[in-house]
Amino acid sequence: MAQSFPEDVLEHVFSFLNHDRDRNAVSLVCKSWYDIERLSRRRIFIGNCYAVSPEIVIRRFPDVRAVELKGKPHFADFNLVPEGWGGYVYPWVVSMAGAYPWLEEIKLKRMVVTDENLELISKSFKNFTVLVLLSCEGFTTDGLAYIAANCRNLRELDLGESEVEDLSGHWLSHFPDNCTSLVSLNISCLGSEVSFSALERLVARCPNLKTLRLNRAVPLEKLPNLLCRAPQLVELGTGAYSAEIQSDIFSNLSEAFLGCKQLKGLSGFWDVVPAYLPAMYSVCSQITSLNLSYATAQNPDLVQFVSQCGNLQRLWVLDYIEDVGLEALAAACKDLQELRVFPSDPYDAEGNVTLTEQGLVAVSEGCPKLQSVLYFCRQMSNAALVAIARNRPNMIRFRLCIIEPRAPDYLTLEPLDAGFGAIVENCKELLRLSMSGLLTDRVFEYIGTHAKKLEMLSIAFAGDSDLGLHHVLSGCESLRKLEIRDCPFGDKALLANATKLETMRSLWMSSCSVSFGACKLLGQKMPRLNVEVINERGPPDSGPEDCPVEKLYVYRTIAGPRVDMPGFVWTMDERVSSRFSRATEGHGD
Amino acid sequence: MEEMELQLKLALSSNLDEGFDLNDHNEEQEYDRLMKKKRCFDETFEEIKNVQVPRTLPLLDHIDLCEEEDGVVGWPPINSWRKKICHHYHHNSRRGCTTPTNYVTVKNGCGGGSRSNSMYVKVKMEGVGIARKVDLSRHHSYQTLIDTLMAMFANEKVQGYKLAYQDKEGDWLLAGDMPWG
Repeated sequence: MAQSFPEDVLEHVFSFLNHDRDRNAVSLVCKSWYDIERLSRRRIFIGNCYAVSPEIVIRRFPDVRAVELKGKPHFADFNLVPEGWGGYVYPWVVSMAGAYPWLEEIKLKRMVVTDENLELISKSFKNFTVLVLLSCEGFTTDGLAYIAANCRNLRELDLGESEVEDLSGHWLSHFPDNCTSLVSLNISCLGSEVSFSALERLVARCPNLKTLRLNRAVPLEKLPNLLCRAPQLVELGTGAYSAEIQSDIFSNLSEAFLGCKQLKGLSGFWDVVPAYLPAMYSVCSQITSLNLSYATAQNPDLVQFVSQCGNLQRLWVLDYIEDVGLEALAAACKDLQELRVFPSDPYDAEGNVTLTEQGLVAVSEGCPKLQSVLYFCRQMSNAALVAIARNRPNMIRFRLCIIEPRAPDYLTLEPLDAGFGAIVENCKELLRLSMSGLLTDRVFEYIGTHAKKLEMLSIAFAGDSDLGLHHVLSGCESLRKLEIRDCPFGDKALLANATKLETMRSLWMSSCSVSFGACKLLGQKMPRLNVEVINERGPPDSGPEDCPVEKLYVYRTIAGPRVDMPGFVWTMDERVSSRFSRATEGHGD
Repeated sequence: MEEMELQLKLALSSNLDEGFDLNDHNEEQEYDRLMKKKRCFDETFEEIKNVQVPRTLPLLDHIDLCEEEDGVVGWPPINSWRKKICHHYHHNSRRGCTTPTNYVTVKNGCGGGSRSNSMYVKVKMEGVGIARKVDLSRHHSYQTLIDTLMAMFANEKVQGYKLAYQDKEGDWLLAGDMPWG
């Protein structure tokens, strides 16, 4: 065999590999490559914090600088995961505080973070620069004060859509006067007012600030003060976009926006007063990303504003845009890649707005780069879905929510199988799909046959039998995440495809027909999976074995069963027979 | 090539046993037993279905048009931030109406229908997540109203339901006690 390169040469080569997939591949070549790679890996992404333990990670990768962790399952966003389920960052922070003194970045999604955790972070890592907390909970503004005060070189503080207990706005004043390093600050989820003068001074002394997302409490009249001090901003999230109609407020605002030559992204817009939208006209043609999904403006003000943004690539908006607005969008924004339309009135069967399948069809026709869609509407047809599929074979994310569960094709009253079938057949690069409406097992046959690149699938109120689930599990080769609610899927498909589950990150099934007995069997036979039953109404063994469990969460892991489960979560493993008194054998453990 | 000794794998290998089906495992007998027995969930549901329970059907939902507590949890799939906006918005004016409105006192051009004499009200059925709208101006008696509502909620179990509404003072009244006018 040829001599291998000297280690430092290999290490240098590996430093060009940033993607986990590449680094994982490299580590499988031989032992010395494995060692060089693991010693030089600086960034790790852990999609499920329970798939591995901090100790295992630290043992393999001793010199990590950036960690990204995800906790709760995605359906936690819709209140399907009970309070107290888990996802605590605590063991990670404690271990890393000792093992990674040079850690710079922590990014968390759907995890529970406490003020103590934040204090520990702020004091343990001397070079800490990036803290991103998306959809997290468990901390207060006191915890933020530690971060502000102690992280001398903080570049990024992004609170995402976290639930923060807002004790006061005073935390922001804890940024020391010599802190000039901020590049990105997102406090949009905070309720209470921060000291505006402290904010103003902070913005003024951070020349590299590129992203500033304010919270609702920052009044519109004061926005120009900030914009003038940060004309280099690339992304701005406004506070409440409302004020009394006064010409000086308008002119100050217009002038301030005129100075923002680098601005590319806009968000915020709570409580929008439409008369102030034109103040941004000078930047509209620069804007590539626009989030109006909290803006309750309606047409014609809304469509007029959006139509000014000819270079738009991403638009998030409420259904006030209506079909007519989407048709205008299709005509004006030829670079559009991502569209999300949210419901203004989600709990009303009929709604107030004329937003139908026509709007989405129009955008799919007019915008050749459209590849990512999230669309809430009240009617859909197979014909429309087929049209969308044929227009946009480049679609990679397609999430459709028809508000009424099991709604059929409103024209033919048939299931929407053919429509979604067309989507998966035409859009060969589809990575993510969420379905709704009336769907039979047939749609799952189409998915299993065609959706070979599909990585994430969300299903609700769909299917007729286990055959549906079987098609998905046996056919979707790239599937990583599957989440299902209120479908008549039971034991057969799950047990028949048990090994498939080891190739996926996770499976969620709630309000389906999976029995407790099947969960036990799965847990006993598959030691590399954690099979967790969530039953809030009582222990799963309080009924017969064939009684369905309320919720099931299955995920692959090398860390063994969790030790932090609340009372309503049970792990099904080889010891389950001794834990539940129904065991006929007398296995003691 | 040195032997690969991996203490752990963050990426699981893709060569797994083909055709490993827990349905065929030694537990086949247990599996059959599970499949044959009637689900206890179905049994429970059968009992409830047959009981006639007179229930009231709230005609007007003054309280919070965004509540999903009576209905399906987590549907439609929007996160709590969006729900908050929805909640906040419905307590303020809509479509240019400056008075705080709930759905009932909506006048021409505000919310609801585009026809000028329409009187749309929101109807919520207990236990159903999605509300419906009905135009009171198109009905001339309680009976036609009830028939229409039953048709609207046709896919729910409507036997034994009663219609109730909330008047201006917030008192709940049974439909039919007062003359239609």
